[in-house]
This record gives sequence, structure tokens and C-alpha cells, in this order.
Amino acid sequence: MASAPAKRPHVGPTQCVGPDYRSESQKPIATVSTEVKYETVTTLPQTPQLIALLTKIRDKNTERADFIFYSNRIIRLLVEEGLNHLPVVEQTVTTPVGRNYAGLMFQGKICGVSIMRAGEAMEQGLRDCCRSVRIGKILIQRDEETAQPKLFYDKLPEDIADRWVLLLDPMFATGGSAIMAVEVLKNRGVPEERILFLNLIASPEGIGNFATKFPKLRVVTAFVDQGLDSKNYIVPGLGDFGDRFYTM
Amino acid sequence: MDTAISRPGRGDDKSAATIAKRAHYSPPWADLSIIGIAGSSGSGKSTLSHAIARADPTSADLLQDSYYKPLGPEASKKAFMNEYDFDSPDAIDFDALLETLQDLKAGKRAEVPVYSFERHQRMEETTTIYSPHVLILEGIFALYDPRVMDLMDMRYVVPQRNHAAMVTQYIERKLLEKSTHHRAALKSLEAGFESEPLSERVVVLKDTPQLRGMNTLIQDIDTSSEDFIFYFDRFTCLLIEQALNNVHYKEQTVETSAGIPYRGLAPKGEVSAVLVLRGGAAFEAGLRRVIPDCRTGRLLIQNNVRTGEPELHYLKLPKDISKHESVLLLDSQMSSGGSGLMAVQVLVDHGVPQDRIVFATYSAGRVGLHRLTKVFPDIAVVVGNMVSDIEARWIESRYFRC
Repeated sequence: MASAPAKRPHVGPTQCVGPDYRSESQKPIATVSTEVKYETVTTLPQTPQLIALLTKIRDKNTERADFIFYSNRIIRLLVEEGLNHLPVVEQTVTTPVGRNYAGLMFQGKICGVSIMRAGEAMEQGLRDCCRSVRIGKILIQRDEETAQPKLFYDKLPEDIADRWVLLLDPMFATGGSAIMAVEVLKNRGVPEERILFLNLIASPEGIGNFATKFPKLRVVTAFVDQGLDSKNYIVPGLGDFGDRFYTM
Repeated sequence: MDTAISRPGRGDDKSAATIAKRAHYSPPWADLSIIGIAGSSGSGKSTLSHAIARADPTSADLLQDSYYKPLGPEASKKAFMNEYDFDSPDAIDFDALLETLQDLKAGKRAEVPVYSFERHQRMEETTTIYSPHVLILEGIFALYDPRVMDLMDMRYVVPQRNHAAMVTQYIERKLLEKSTHHRAALKSLEAGFESEPLSERVVVLKDTPQLRGMNTLIQDIDTSSEDFIFYFDRFTCLLIEQALNNVHYKEQTVETSAGIPYRGLAPKGEVSAVLVLRGGAAFEAGLRRVIPDCRTGRLLIQNNVRTGEPELHYLKLPKDISKHESVLLLDSQMSSGGSGLMAVQVLVDHGVPQDRIVFATYSAGRVGLHRLTKVFPDIAVVVGNMVSDIEARWIESRYFRC
């Protein structure tokens, strides 16, 4: 379903959202994430609070300070969900009251890589969860002549090939720059299955392109929107994330 | 329990209903002991009052002088000319006094009138008495009205030195008795539903690998304090995000910068929080990450050293809490459910409807959760971890490092 080109109807699925113990009539109705059927794609649970956060950042009348605050809250939820996909080993510990807790420890090293500039807006959320995480950067810009994405700059941890990579980009439209970023990582020796792409709002097209090209790469997104418009902007989207976060 | 006469327009009629309906849980401050002291000044009242305050730190004083009748124009004129007889029982509004005592006996909040001698009238503001275990009624006519006298446990006309010891003994015995009753009542709450599933309004966070990883670090006794606090804050932040799924939202369509509508949601109204101290204060960092300017009430519940019973020692709530869309009630741990029950009761007594209360805790046991949701079936509960039924409170001392 996903690789169909652009121009889908601008209507996303709607449903009642709220806790299970409330009846349908007690729950408000909202547009929720468009369903995508790839095993590697995880969409955050469509809870009322997540929908309310997304409503806030989509609203063009939301001021920059609020935009930053509310997107950070979603980003933290994305990071927490992303960490679920890292490998763990069992470890039993003793608690302060002397009881045993059959727990888990994370295994393997991680790093973040942000796709400049909007991806850098997600770094704070990542640091809120992983204090001293290494963060690499990749700058990809659209080439004026070819209209294709072009790599301008990258600075990545030396040992990135030994790490799990949390790739950060809030808006995932056609996936052009994200695909290029993944190519860069793969060239540095990071296997596809050790890349987690964290993203706020995706298009079904982008998700489809990615899943075909990188079938082992995991995507964690808060919301899959209805589609792309003729200019390849996400619909309904939220405008230019970088502008709203940094300069507006 | 005495039947309470509800005064119209007081706003706490609801709490009377909830207590009456649930005869099986009455807060420990219901059926308080009332001690009447009728002596005039210098009659040894203060020795007695001090002894009572030592025996029961929650005790409160009620002065008969607060119940002078509001004066009509005629009487007021007399009063200003010093011709009105304030030393006559006719000057006292015994009906209002009786009502206060009955409210307190029923475990309700009571508003005590404030009388101004300067203006010779009752002021608009009132003072609140809530949840004492022992009430001392003082005034020259404290022992005048038979209806008032009937409610008293002990009465003294002119207290003697040896009365203090008697009163202290009486209070200590009474508190122990109440504690035994209270425990038995709590115990009976769990009877018969050990095997029942938890209420559908209890949401336990999904045990994902990442949550388990955080829990491992939080629960490991060898984790450094720095790490403990960091991971606990991260955990509470998630717990509060989850708690917010239980508050009420309304539909709201917004327009994105591209001019396209999005059919979304917005919070219906203000969400505030109440911390059950000290444990709940460990949630404050997490709370502020989610709602930076969240209005936050606090209540301190301590276990009595002698009886082990939870007691309400301090209470400060936002004035308009009954109008908030939702109130998050936060405590780090819940085992027997005693302080959880008390905390919810306090909110209900202050006019917060049950279905607007979301109780969130890092860990809880089944028995405590059953008790809480049997007594308050309409609250929502969000739990980080299910643990055994009785667990000492270790999180607060680990978080605050003392």
C-alpha cells in the first residue's frame, strides 16, 4: 500500500481514543496514525495524550516555546520506545528491601546520529534519556541542479561500526535524505539491523520506500500521516520542523 | 457513625454521601473524640489542652466564642453601647455549633464561623477544621446545650491537675481502639477477592525490555545515588505521561501551517497534582518535565509510632481543586493501601469527584490495589510495577538520601 505515488486523499483514519475502561461514547474522536504493515515499523500507541501533543505541535498558532516543549515530550517517548529494540541480557539484582528483582541489562554501545538541521532538535530528548551519549551529525541538502539530496558534511564517532545507531530526523516525507543518511552509515560499517530511525511524523510513502530498500532497519515513529502533496510535503504535517523549532 | 445534617450550599455534601455509602471504610478521623471544657480563663484549661495536644498531634481546638449569633440591627446597636449580654447562653448559636460537631463526627470537613467583636457580626470568611482525632471545645457555655453534651466523650467544668493524666490515658486508649477497628475494617476489605482480577481502571505499565532495564537500575541496591535519581526521574516522567491518558480530553481541530486541518484533541481543562509526602515528592522532577507549571497540592501522612496507623498531619491544596478537570495523586509506593485510601478520601472530601482522580505510584501490591478500587471504584490507578503485598517504603529514603 505504501509505495503508491503521492496524492492520496487528505483523510486519515479516525477513531475514539481513550482508556479501555471508558465506553466509546465517553471517548473523543480524533484522526489517528495511518496503518502500515511492516514488521520493522513501530508506531507509538495512539493514546489521547500523544494525540493531544501532536495536535499542539501541528497547530500553526502554537508559539515556538510551546512547540519546543511539546515536541520534546514526544521525542522522549520516541527514544524510550526506541530503546526497547536494543539487545538485553538477564540480570537479577537485590533491592534495598532484600527482595530479588529479575531484571535486564542493556548490552552493546549506542550512539545518536542527527540529520541536520531538524534532527538536531531531537538531541535534547535523546540526552534526557541517555546522558552522555555520543552524537554524530550528517548534513544533507537538496542539490539545486539535480533536485536530488546531496551529502555536504558528516562527523561520526570513530567506532560507529561497533555501535547501535539511533538516527534522528523528525519529519519523514519521501525519505530521500534519510535513505542517503543510512547509506552513509552503512558505508561506515554499521549493519542495517543496528540502525533505529526515530521520527515524529512520517508519510506512508517514506515508510514504504524505506522498508523496501532497508528491510532490516527499524523505524519508530509517533504518527504516520495521510500522505504527500504535489510538492512532496507531508499532509497534514506541521510545516517546516526546523523553522518552527529554531528560527520562527 | 452519626448521621450528618448537611447544610445546603456547603459544597461537601458529596463527601457525606460517599462516607455513608461506604460504611466499610471510614477515615480514622471519623468518630472523633470531643472533650468539653467549661472553665473560665485561669481555670487550668491550657494545662489540659497541652496534654491533649501531646497525646494526639492532630487534635484541634474549637472555641465557643466563634459561635456568637450574628446580631440584628437592634442588638447590634446595644452591642456597640456595651449593653448586649454576651455572657448569656442566648448569645450563642448552638444550632451552628451542633452542626459543626456533627460534621466532624461524620469525618467531614467543617467550616467554623469567624466572629468579629469589632463589628459585632459574623465575618464572611470561615476557618476550616478537618480530620482531627480529638477536638477540644472550650467556652463558658461549652457544657450548656444537652445536644452538644451528648456528643462529648469527656466533660470538665474546672479541670484539675490530675485530669490531664486521665485525659491523656483516655485518648491513648481510644486511638489504639480506633486503630484496631480501622485495621479490622481494612482487613475485611480484602476478604473474598484475592483471586479476583484487578479493576479495569488499574493500568500497570507494560513490562517492556526498556522499562525492565530501567527498573533493574532503580531496584539494584548497588546502583549509585546519582544513577538512581536519574533513572527514577525518567521512570516517573513515563508514569505521568501514562497517567495523563486517564484524564479527559476534548476534540479539537487545528490548522497546520500549510493550512490543512487536523482533527486532534486538547486537554479538557486544568490538570493539577497532589503529592502524598514524603514519597510523592520524589515524583516532582518527573511531573515538572511533563507539566512544568502544574499546580501542586501536598499532604503529609505519617504512621503513628504507637499504633502504626496512618495519620494526616499536613494538608495544603489548591483552593479551586474541586473545579480542576483532573487531579493526579502521586505517591512513590503503596502497600497496604492505608495512606492511599486516606489520600483519596481527603480529595473526595474537598470536592474532587472520584472519576477525576488518577492515582499514580511506582509500585503497588494486589491487596492494596483491591482495597483502593473497592472503596473508590471510579478512580483510575496507574502502577509502574506490581510487587508483593507488603513492602517497606524504601524509594523516598533512596531518592532523598536520608
